[in-house]
Amino acid sequence: MAFENGESKVREYEIIGKPLPRVDGIEKATGQAKFTVDMAMPGMLHGKFLRSAYPHARILSINVEKAKRLSGVKAVITRDDVAGIRYAFVDTPRYPADETPLAVDKVRYIGDEVAAVAAIDLDTAEEAIRLIQVEYKPLTPVFDPEEAMKTGAPDIHEPFELGSKTEWEDWGVHRGKRALDWRDAKNLSGRTSVAIGDVERGFAQSDYVREDRFETKATAHCALEPHAALASFEPSGKLNMYLSSMGIFYKRFVLAKALGLPISQVRILKTYVGGAFGGKIDLFPYEFCAAFLSRMTGKPVRFELEREEVFTCTRQRHPTIVHIKTGVKKDGTILAQKIKFIADNGAYRGSGAIVVYLGHAFSIPVYSVPNYHYEGYSVYTNNPIRGPQRAHGSPQIRFAVDSQIEMIAEELGLDPLEIMLKNARKKDDILPNGDVLKSCGLSECLEKAAQASGWKEWRGDRAKRTQERESTSRYKRGLGMSSCSMFSGAPFYPFASSAIVKLHDDGSVTLYTGATEMGQGSDTTMAQVAAQELGLQLEDIRVVSGDTELCPIDHGQFLSGGAFVTGNAVRLAAADAKSQLLKLAVEMLGVEEVTLEAKEKRFYVRGSPDKSISYSELIQLSVQRNNGNPIIGKGNMKAVQEAEFYPSLAKAKGHFTDAYGFAVQVAEVEVDTQTGLVRVNKTVTFHDCGFPLNLSIVEGQVHGNVSMGMGQALWEEILLEGGQIQNPSFLDYRAPLATETPSMISGMVETQDPGGPYGAKEVGEGSISGILAAIANAIYDAIGIRFTQLPITPEKVLEALTLPAHPKACLPVGRGEGRDKEKVLEALWKK
Amino acid sequence: MKRILKLHVNGEEFEILTEVNKTLLEVLREDLGLTGTKRGCDLGACGACTVVIDGKPHLSCITLAAAVQGKKIMTIEGLAQEGKLHSLQKAFVEKGAIQCGFCTPGMILTAKAFLDEHPHPSEGEVKKAISGNLCRCTGYVKIVEAIISAAENV
Repeated sequence: MAFENGESKVREYEIIGKPLPRVDGIEKATGQAKFTVDMAMPGMLHGKFLRSAYPHARILSINVEKAKRLSGVKAVITRDDVAGIRYAFVDTPRYPADETPLAVDKVRYIGDEVAAVAAIDLDTAEEAIRLIQVEYKPLTPVFDPEEAMKTGAPDIHEPFELGSKTEWEDWGVHRGKRALDWRDAKNLSGRTSVAIGDVERGFAQSDYVREDRFETKATAHCALEPHAALASFEPSGKLNMYLSSMGIFYKRFVLAKALGLPISQVRILKTYVGGAFGGKIDLFPYEFCAAFLSRMTGKPVRFELEREEVFTCTRQRHPTIVHIKTGVKKDGTILAQKIKFIADNGAYRGSGAIVVYLGHAFSIPVYSVPNYHYEGYSVYTNNPIRGPQRAHGSPQIRFAVDSQIEMIAEELGLDPLEIMLKNARKKDDILPNGDVLKSCGLSECLEKAAQASGWKEWRGDRAKRTQERESTSRYKRGLGMSSCSMFSGAPFYPFASSAIVKLHDDGSVTLYTGATEMGQGSDTTMAQVAAQELGLQLEDIRVVSGDTELCPIDHGQFLSGGAFVTGNAVRLAAADAKSQLLKLAVEMLGVEEVTLEAKEKRFYVRGSPDKSISYSELIQLSVQRNNGNPIIGKGNMKAVQEAEFYPSLAKAKGHFTDAYGFAVQVAEVEVDTQTGLVRVNKTVTFHDCGFPLNLSIVEGQVHGNVSMGMGQALWEEILLEGGQIQNPSFLDYRAPLATETPSMISGMVETQDPGGPYGAKEVGEGSISGILAAIANAIYDAIGIRFTQLPITPEKVLEALTLPAHPKACLPVGRGEGRDKEKVLEALWKK
Repeated sequence: MKRILKLHVNGEEFEILTEVNKTLLEVLREDLGLTGTKRGCDLGACGACTVVIDGKPHLSCITLAAAVQGKKIMTIEGLAQEGKLHSLQKAFVEKGAIQCGFCTPGMILTAKAFLDEHPHPSEGEVKKAISGNLCRCTGYVKIVEAIISAAENV
């Protein structure tokens, strides 16, 4: 597991950047760390849901009398109890909230919550659920997004009256006019259209044009800690919640609004979170119902979802169909690209309206495309709900784009690396929406990834490659490459992060940050930032985090802004405290500020080590001289400086983020032609994260990303039949195991983003999206078969190997083999 | 129906009045308040509930508490002795093998039971030994490094 650093323009710091052990490591290694599922309270009730067994049905009646009468049952609620309440991850005038805590008129997917019970123990709750009688009238369901868009498809959602202001209006957005008639197909939950230049002229000027269709399936987050919530009310009416969640300030807002409580009356307390990967940001029925039932019964109420429920009734990654047509010059320069991105968002909008925007926004920073047309459709179906999952839309679009790049490369007799380098964006490029790439290490990542993987040696030797591919040997090797990009924070409530640094008498510090520690290491990296700024050791910093009462606002962990946004807030808070100390030190020592350096909780005069003063003394002086000021530092950072609000999802106009991370990934695979099994032997990832705040933590993020990307490329798929999940358990859903770990080489390219703290940008989501096409391209390199559908399971590989003209081995449009090019083109672009 | 169960956990004897059909996982977490052992799936598929019983790793979510009376049960809380971390715990912390921490207790105990029997494993043997413990955060890379390091430093 080797590691390679960037060039020596890298500055070495004492604390920041160092692979210091995590501050929560011992707690977790000894089992002391408390997660939401570990929290219990006296008199606590247990919550359970009655869920729909139909994918699409009208609810005719619900009878809960028997359930209510069961001994030990304290409350049963249905649509009557929560009438009029709506919420959703996306709630704007164009996309109003379409979810209710419990089903009202219809159920729209298998698992949709119909009723909730609070009882003295789980067994009683489960028995009560079985006593609830519901009369359904089944309706025609639709499971395919392209079918759902057709004129004759059943309507999954009917128009409804907006009861109150939407979230975005609450946050003070003033949008002029609203596009009312944006639905140009049935069952649309979101629509994005982007046009740059003249795409038809671009194609006309191209030397080579090809179009392809790619498909990806729904995948599961597989966070080890199940979704859970524990709610209790204080006598004053204040709600306290333990949640396994991300973005606690966002969640508090939505929860307070849904419950009709003032924000200040809702508190989310800290627990460690056992993984999230985007799957815990939506407000879920179990969170709402825990609070609602607690208020109703006067007792704490806990919901802990069973693993089957987590697979089925929380969120999944959007399955997508991506049509992509690209025109290039002979030398590989991209002249035009036309993309149609269809996301199956399931029964409720979830993040559908966002993912079809991100299918554009996460890809446009990678290659420069002068003529570009993108149409995104998120579609309602009676499948489970889809929401954000690590890199949200990027894996799907990058899989399509870079698979096609390799296909183009082969046609033109070029190395795909050449094409990627030729079109890669550079520092100072301005994206169509106005975002500036103030740092961009993409080209360097391409060069380094190629170098570290032996790309040129392998690819350059065409004879050897062809020989291996055409040989009768059982195992065939291949290399594939792909690149990707990721944002570092975006303007979404609460639009900023703030931090407080409090000094103690002994010169050590407590750092208050609203960030949630969910494994990504924020408690540690933020402590490192504060320590570095104040010249302290990591042990001198105590972190208070993840509590909406004790901590100031935080941007949240679902927008990849931990390093860039929160990190800056922390740095500024520490700098504020330091400057207060410095002012006094300058006075006491009678020297210029520039001569002082901070170390071991003292300020030393450079060159005169005996001339120093401790933080302790300075704090004492401050208290005495400045009317009791004990030295508290405050800092804040807006997520995106020039943006007032989230960019237009519909047109992709407006600033999105202030810094993009980049990654290039190479996969070395070995295909067993006898079993179809693909083994990833080695991966190489070069990640431009600006500057790694903690090298060990950053590497850990890369490893996790690579593992997840590999799983989703090769084995992971939520198998659905008639809206029913066939594999809702770890036995049948194939998340990667230890034995499948490839050798992972990861290197950092340090571009020192001018806006990031110590130059840091995102790292938690940036290195999953390049793995999928890298693996698909490597498989093509190995056996000459192109897979345009994920996951590339052994069954698919074997079928393709044994039947050369098998339809799953996708041949490009216009390449004969019985496909009518005109018909295909017609179908491709018809809405 | 409740009955008295006698369990030997982390070197201590416990008498617990509890339902006779409870799993060991439930008894540990709910009756003994030892929440270090985690419920990831309740199906025996993820390994988060791993405890060591008479030196061997067991999935406590599919073990009846009543069936392991009289056996020596170790949970993650019993690994460190008198405040001193086990070499595996130290290695996990030092090598960055912990992210969210949810798989960690089960992972460490599986590794402990394995290293006790195989003190000098190869990387491949370590991977096989922990192949029943799912981790979604780390990609297993630093976990394997930590286990090998602990083996070398014992």
